[in-house]
Amino acid sequence: MFLLEHDAKELLAANGVAVPAGILVHDTEIDAAALPPGPWIVKAQIAAGGRGKAGLIRIADSSGEIVSHLRAMLGATGKGMSVRECRIETRITGVEEAYVSLMLDPVAAGVRLTLAARGGVEIESLAATPAAIRGATVAPQLPELVTQAAILTAGLAPHLASALNAAARELAGVFLAAELSLLEVNPLFVRPDGGWVAGDAKIVSDDNALVRQPWLAELLERRAAAYSEARRKQQHGCDYVVVDRDGEIGLLTTGAGLSMMLIDELRAAGLKPYNFLDVRTGGLRGDATRLVDVLGWIAEGRRVRVLLVNIFAGITDLGEFAQLLAEAFARTPQLKVPVVARLVGTRLEAAREFLAARNITVVTDLGAALVHVRRHLAAA
Amino acid sequence: MINPRIDRDTRVIVQGITGRAGRMHTRMMRDYGTRIVAGVSPQAGIADVDGVPVFAACRDAVAATGATASVLLIGAEQLLGAIEDAVAAGIKLIVTPTEGMPVHDALAARRLTREAGVTWVGASTPGLAVPGVAKLGFLPEASLAPGPLGLMSKSGTLSYEAGYRLAHHGIGTSVWVGVGGDAVKGTRFAELVPFFAADAQTQALLVIGEIGGNEEEEFAAALTAQRFAKPVFALIAGRSSPEGLTMGHAGALVHGGHGGYAAKKAALEKAGVAVFASLDAMTLGIGRTLGPR
Repeated sequence: MFLLEHDAKELLAANGVAVPAGILVHDTEIDAAALPPGPWIVKAQIAAGGRGKAGLIRIADSSGEIVSHLRAMLGATGKGMSVRECRIETRITGVEEAYVSLMLDPVAAGVRLTLAARGGVEIESLAATPAAIRGATVAPQLPELVTQAAILTAGLAPHLASALNAAARELAGVFLAAELSLLEVNPLFVRPDGGWVAGDAKIVSDDNALVRQPWLAELLERRAAAYSEARRKQQHGCDYVVVDRDGEIGLLTTGAGLSMMLIDELRAAGLKPYNFLDVRTGGLRGDATRLVDVLGWIAEGRRVRVLLVNIFAGITDLGEFAQLLAEAFARTPQLKVPVVARLVGTRLEAAREFLAARNITVVTDLGAALVHVRRHLAAA
Repeated sequence: MINPRIDRDTRVIVQGITGRAGRMHTRMMRDYGTRIVAGVSPQAGIADVDGVPVFAACRDAVAATGATASVLLIGAEQLLGAIEDAVAAGIKLIVTPTEGMPVHDALAARRLTREAGVTWVGASTPGLAVPGVAKLGFLPEASLAPGPLGLMSKSGTLSYEAGYRLAHHGIGTSVWVGVGGDAVKGTRFAELVPFFAADAQTQALLVIGEIGGNEEEEFAAALTAQRFAKPVFALIAGRSSPEGLTMGHAGALVHGGHGGYAAKKAALEKAGVAVFASLDAMTLGIGRTLGPR
């Protein structure tokens, strides 16, 4: 999952990497005693890049300025996301801005280390300057990465070479130990004496390593609200994302790719899906609990007016699935919308009969299902 | 060159055969025509599963049967170790449907299999198949019909849906490879381009991708480098997905302008690929080129 900057910096700090002193705030009631030393920078915490250019990173020289920035940013929408929290940290001045990143290289099967003496917001445009950005992929081991950093920094000014080597070594250690997919520090603030501080931190962690990465499990528990999707997957074994709070079509679907495609097609047809879901029918094992959970979440959608069930079952017995579905509906009385079920797979007829007796239309063609969905939306 | 083509003589073992999924899929693969010659399970006291002999160690199963392919129905945490066992035993084609493999484990498995010259398909793969002949993994029969279209996909379910619709339009598949939706995997789209270029039974190619990573862009570059002469079609899921959130598949993550739909579509179209906006458009478009027959 994509870590918010604050959590990424906390992870770095916990591993001994220097970051600017900072605190996380959720409202404008700031406690002056808790503030880090000024001057400050106020940074909206959303899971997207390009915050600076979107006006979501602002400088402040007084606590009054901090409060006015928080007023402007908290609750606002930036890059399509709602800003719920901001990090206030000490602004670092009198430094150069360099760049370090480590990422998995899925082709060469190694770790790609990238360094640049000049980083900051214009890093993308530097790609046009030969030798401005230096990178190489090596085996996923610390000694190889440390050696590579020395090669990549050859010829740089001594204070930059020293800072980049030290930062690469420390960040590589965190990257490997925490099993990260991406760790980018841009800018890496470098002082004239070669000292350095991670000015920003972009981290993608591996949810699949959760069982052996206690920090990640702890983060999900402590910050459940900020990572509700990952938390939900951990607790319920399925992927669920609200894609449009004003969505009108609740989706009970299985398979990530097919569910994504269905959302794309609904949107292209001018319809408004509420959620993404990969319920994983193969993991239900005769228990309706997960379906009950999902229907409960969908019932929270205030504009949801119809539920579309789309299950292409390679292996799942649809007769059994229909019974679990009926049980789940019975246990979710708060969901009062019509249901259209599109089912393909084994024992379809048993499912059709069973659901027809409960007033649920079953079709096998997705296009036909959408005709029913549109009819319900028009009638509602 | 990676060659995923299997036939009725390909000798296959199942690692993890005594588990719930192991037993069920062993039966389904055999029913389809796959020659399962042995199973592997550390569980003591099980001599066979439905008549398939069970060995405690992978190397014993391979030594006794001459197997060259293995399907691993093993938990995510144990998967890397089981892949190491398969490589050490001399298996040449490894298929791992398991979801949830830690990505640093996948990196290690990719290094290992490449160095050993072993083809690894997965993780998170629904499997591979030569329709009408044999399959390794979960691919459902309703979607498998023999024909001229090569198919590779990140998603299982979206490929089932696509294969099912195409089969109903009289368009079948030559070789079907589910590469899986993980960020680091054993076999990538681009690595199958030489095979599909050379495969005489394949007259056209369908690639089913999704947002995240750069596999589609890499595939487009490989088509151009190969001077791939057969028609190529693509379906890319996730064009309306929000940034910064993983959409079900570990690899399906768009962040800071990386992995987005527009760049994938542009790269594919530049390489001469027909990119379809919907499943219906895909069925019609492929139908115009290949069939129905």
